[in-house]
Amino acid sequence: MIAQRVSLNNLLAIVLTAAAAAYVGWKISQSPDQAVQFAFNGLSVGAVYAILAMGFTLVYSTVWFFDLYYGAAAALGAYGVFYLRSQETLGGLYAVNNVFVNVLFAAVTAGVVAWALYESLYPRFRARFSPIVLRAILGLVAAGAGVYTGYVLSFPKDLHLTLSPVIAIGVAVAFTWSLYQVLQGVCAGRVLLGLVSITGLVAAALGAYCGYLIATTPDSKLYLSWGLSCFLAGIVGLAFYRGLYVYMRERSRSPLIMLVASLGILLAITALTSIVFESTPRPLPEALGNDPLAIAGATIKGFNVFTVGVALVGFLFLQFLLKQTAFGKAVRAIGDDEEVSKVVGINTTTVIAVVFFIGAIYAAMAGLLSGHDTAIQPRMGLLLLLKGWIASVVGGIGNLQGAIVGGFVLGMIEQFGIWDLAGEWRDVISFLLLILFLSFWPTGLLPRK
Amino acid sequence: MQTNAESSSKPTRLLGNSQALLASAKGNLELWANLLIIAWALGFMLWQGVGFAITVGTVFAIWAILSVSLNLVVGFTGLLSVGHVGFFGIGAYTVAILTSRAEYEQLRTEAIPTFGWPFFAALPVGVLLAGIIAIAVGVVFNRFRDDIYVLVSFGFAIISFNIFLNWRGLTRGAFGIHEIARPAVGGWALDDELGFLIFALAILAIVVLLSWLIVTSSFGRVLTAIREDEEAIAVFGFRTTHYKLAVWTISAMMAGLAGGLFASWTTFVDPNSFILLESMLLVAIVILGGLATIWGSLLGAMAFVLLEEGMRFLPFLPTIHVGQARLVVLGILLVLLMLFRPQGLVGRYKL
Repeated sequence: MIAQRVSLNNLLAIVLTAAAAAYVGWKISQSPDQAVQFAFNGLSVGAVYAILAMGFTLVYSTVWFFDLYYGAAAALGAYGVFYLRSQETLGGLYAVNNVFVNVLFAAVTAGVVAWALYESLYPRFRARFSPIVLRAILGLVAAGAGVYTGYVLSFPKDLHLTLSPVIAIGVAVAFTWSLYQVLQGVCAGRVLLGLVSITGLVAAALGAYCGYLIATTPDSKLYLSWGLSCFLAGIVGLAFYRGLYVYMRERSRSPLIMLVASLGILLAITALTSIVFESTPRPLPEALGNDPLAIAGATIKGFNVFTVGVALVGFLFLQFLLKQTAFGKAVRAIGDDEEVSKVVGINTTTVIAVVFFIGAIYAAMAGLLSGHDTAIQPRMGLLLLLKGWIASVVGGIGNLQGAIVGGFVLGMIEQFGIWDLAGEWRDVISFLLLILFLSFWPTGLLPRK
Repeated sequence: MQTNAESSSKPTRLLGNSQALLASAKGNLELWANLLIIAWALGFMLWQGVGFAITVGTVFAIWAILSVSLNLVVGFTGLLSVGHVGFFGIGAYTVAILTSRAEYEQLRTEAIPTFGWPFFAALPVGVLLAGIIAIAVGVVFNRFRDDIYVLVSFGFAIISFNIFLNWRGLTRGAFGIHEIARPAVGGWALDDELGFLIFALAILAIVVLLSWLIVTSSFGRVLTAIREDEEAIAVFGFRTTHYKLAVWTISAMMAGLAGGLFASWTTFVDPNSFILLESMLLVAIVILGGLATIWGSLLGAMAFVLLEEGMRFLPFLPTIHVGQARLVVLGILLVLLMLFRPQGLVGRYKL
């Protein structure tokens, strides 16, 4: 009985796939030029879905519950760019600068930075300083970070000036740290100390130069605001995990409870976005590569090529992170068995918090890239979340390669599916695809091992 | 789904079992919630005057039918459906298309065929159509579980919304359908608001009675058992998928009934009434009231409607933001509920 059913399912799946392939093949033979155009559209839409699906898979395969905040993070990413650049869009007609928003994000940033400092530095220096002094110092640093964030958000016009010192320090620290890692393997003792101090001087000069470059080129504002809004969306995601989900998961292991709670978060954030920005669609400012490139009888915007590039880079980064680093090992261990990881000595709370941070950054990136391509509106978050979710199911849930493949496959099928229909049936096509996949092929294209 | 540790031998608690209410310390919270919301409703009606209260009452009746019907699915089979608004829309659009008398050719917008049926002929058609579609959808969806089920039910809501919006030859798309008939028998029509409120409350009473009969019957007991442990009851030879499909269909028909009522009350429908957000609000109401309790669903709907109308009178809130501010409050409420009281206000089963 069961074997019969499986074979029947397989037969149905094969027939459906063959029919779809025949249909698409016939359409392509009818008008190859149009087919190339649709393929380009599918690539550019699929890239956004792939980014979404990758971040989604990263989070889901670690904690195994659906976090709907992910959708809100996509909307936050897009609206963050709008918030920071609204004075340049449409001549500042819809410019928004809200004191409450600035204070809120400042407070959240301060809290998250305080937690991060406490987690990382407190155990190391506890032996040398008295705990009260140490806590006061960390608290002051965190408060400073919060105030700085509020300041940057309050004066988005001078973004390149206000962010340049941070970028300078960041470049210097990163340069020194990476060279220190390399030199550690080569030499030791005094030689190492000397080399590192020389490196530090070089790095300081380099950082200063980078900061100067940023401060003198106002054109970089848009890309700086991309980074800033992704960062803030990530911070909020981390804050939700650390401040809320941790306690919930202690109380109950039911994934539905987490889902409903994050549904509440999504509702609240969407509504707040509508209050601050109104719910009508808004455009984002002009980004790079708005001129269409003509390739093989079809056109594709340079920006869409860039989006595909971002998806590939994002994939390579995650691959590297999960496969090559100790952090990635910890993430995979938690995904396999959280209890055992705790026993082995992995600090699960910290690792998962970082995972949430990275996941939210991916969502925000996808949100702002799709926002530059089309208009943005507060309700976009949920739809993007669902598309990322579908893409990860199609690709094989909990598998990173599956996520990027599923994203591009979903984009392609959506675009080829609306060939004979109007464009507004896109969502219907993707959900029908999801239901077909779940019915005939529940493990997806590339199942998790 | 897990039960509370202290769940008693009685499988379900229904309309106001006062002894159980007063029994435990937890019952106290329920009692206070009940009293507070009902007192708030009465005070509100006295304060705002009758005309406004009638409108609020009708809105409450429609939401209550919806939430009681969704609670049959969520509370008794453990499937968290976020697509219920689809059936609501199917009922509403069926009644709208069959009873609309508008002459669209004169308006120079897209025309759809006019049937001009009476309301009481169109309503059963809408309910039946919702039921038929529910059977078709349920057969496909029955194999899914937990979070995947949530995803596909999202999908159902989005697909149905897109059909309402984009199948212009049937629904006139974003223009919407005007001049929908009010309930009428012979020469007597329900044109006044008070009469319609009584009619809506009567339908709500029928729905509540029907749900109560379902829940207390042996059929309802099997459903409860399915929620507790589906494999176990399947071992005893109960065909659990059939039970689930049956309750899903009944629930969808009730939602279709609410939809027909809604279309007739507003006399105009357009796709914006059936967006995904409404579905999520509905889930929020059911969870707020509590799973597997009819009284809880009524209470949740009442609290929700009062929240919406009550927030209009907050002095520091501009009127344009009321709808959104209500969502913020609801979202925060959901989070708090999941943290401290996952069984809802008067429920006893956790998700």
